[in-house]
Amino acid sequence: MAQLTYAPTKTNLLRLRSDLSFAQQGYELLDQKRNILIVELLALLDQTVDFQSRVEKALEKAYEALEEAILDMGKLKVQYLTGAAHITTDITVRSRRVMGVSLPVIETQFTEYPPYYSLMGNSFWIDSALSFFKEVLQLLGKLAELKISVLRLANEVKKTIRKVNALEKIAIPDLKETVHYIESRLEENERDMFVLMKMVKENLERKKAAADGGLE
Amino acid sequence: MKYSIIGDEDTVLGFGVVGVAGRVATNAEEAQRAFQDLLGDKETSIIIITERVAEMIRSIVDRYVFTESFPLIVEIPDRHGPVPGRPGIKEMVNTAIGLKI
Repeated sequence: MAQLTYAPTKTNLLRLRSDLSFAQQGYELLDQKRNILIVELLALLDQTVDFQSRVEKALEKAYEALEEAILDMGKLKVQYLTGAAHITTDITVRSRRVMGVSLPVIETQFTEYPPYYSLMGNSFWIDSALSFFKEVLQLLGKLAELKISVLRLANEVKKTIRKVNALEKIAIPDLKETVHYIESRLEENERDMFVLMKMVKENLERKKAAADGGLE
Repeated sequence: MKYSIIGDEDTVLGFGVVGVAGRVATNAEEAQRAFQDLLGDKETSIIIITERVAEMIRSIVDRYVFTESFPLIVEIPDRHGPVPGRPGIKEMVNTAIGLKI
């Protein structure tokens, strides 16, 4: 703990006192912010882990179906069919704010124009691949939203923790110590002055008594 | 607004089936070029990138994930499954904030 270098005067004392109360207010606010962010983060974290495993499972199935389709019909034909499948995805990204952190909210909409290709001569696997990949995409939007939110919140929590610690462990103790030091210095000065005045008074009285005695 | 994907050939083909435009990347240089192109594309709001490709340009990807609000980047495993040893989201958060959750 380091004491700040301030001359021990009344003005400085008043200023440091208001600094201290300001720092304490800031500390309380940041502490609240940290707690709110952590609660939010925890809620999102569980959801994210859940969605991640769902996406991974869905992807696994989708890749399998695609592989079967490729084995069945050949890569070239599958590539042709991707050109034929007319699906457009539309994403709306909005943002919501939690304690000054903007988090994305994503909605995915599909516009489909089936049928895409002839049922004849095409593997049924291509159909299942298509529906699996669509499912993956739907989940991915949500996963992106959650993952980005979690990362940003984590970043913000980290920053807030750093600020809280700086206030709690450095700024506030330093200010307190300095205020204490200035207070005791001022009191000491006051006592000094008091004793000095007493001595002056006694001296004066003694002189007066001596003068009175001399006159009589 | 739409999705775009950077990945290996099979992944891009798969997502192509559902109308997601993709770029094939097999080395770091291609990945970087594809990534820059997609960043310039105002219509792309979510970039899907496979873990193995993201690994090639990890520093660029991480910079965008953590600092830029746009576009959003999401990593997925490719045909060969998740990269072993890659830290999960929980571990990432733990190291980021230095607390055990």
